[in-house]
Amino acid sequence: MSGARRRPVALTALGLALGAALSVLAPVDAQAATGAADGKLPPQGALLPKDSVDAATFRGGLVFANYCVTCHGINADGNGRAARLYNPRPANLRMSDKNDAYFALIIRKGGAALGRSEFMPTWEAELTNEQISDLVAYLRSINQHKAN
Amino acid sequence: MIQMSLGSRALSCCLLLTAALSAQAGQEVVVTQKNKTFSVKKLTVKVGDSVKFLNEDSFAHNIFSLSAAKSFDLGSFGTGGSRAVVFDKPGKVEVECAVHPDMKLDIEVLP
Repeated sequence: MSGARRRPVALTALGLALGAALSVLAPVDAQAATGAADGKLPPQGALLPKDSVDAATFRGGLVFANYCVTCHGINADGNGRAARLYNPRPANLRMSDKNDAYFALIIRKGGAALGRSEFMPTWEAELTNEQISDLVAYLRSINQHKAN
Repeated sequence: MIQMSLGSRALSCCLLLTAALSAQAGQEVVVTQKNKTFSVKKLTVKVGDSVKFLNEDSFAHNIFSLSAAKSFDLGSFGTGGSRAVVFDKPGKVEVECAVHPDMKLDIEVLP
């Protein structure tokens, strides 16, 4: 009887010890996986939730770098390598006073549809809705207009 | 006889002038855009020749070049649309599409 009584006690003690060990180890492993323990980013870069504003801004920056820099420039100030072809020059998007809806509209429909430069192409056939939304998030993030 | 001779001379002059003008006007080469690619990757033309860009895609293209030999932007043009550009200086011209960054065409313009 005493042996039968001792066994559950021993098992319980073993379980508690194992649980405690795992609970201590788990955070260490998570930190090691993300590299966050020492404040450094993991090799694959920052891990961002898909629906966060930061993620949209990050993705929008990629869209901008691929499609917009030729005219608007890597700094979005209107000084891209093709800017010299145009008069008026491409818009300085950092100082734009336009809201998000306007950004999305001119990206979709092009400049001519809004009475702006005919050389701003229509992008609605090339970019997905998500890409346009991400691009707007990126443009908002870099905008330095005083009203913003 | 003298009148006929003068007439035939005038006709000859006219024919020569027409031939000279047509030679100066140059040839037109058609380059199509389909599936986000140019129909040719490289092209050689002569000074005075023109290249007509014809859009056979179901969406717009915006053909431009920033090369020293010829800088231009033909603007956006949709399905079935076309724009032409005359090459008036020798040199190498890299043609791109503003909407589709992977589209490239190299044109060599000979004197």
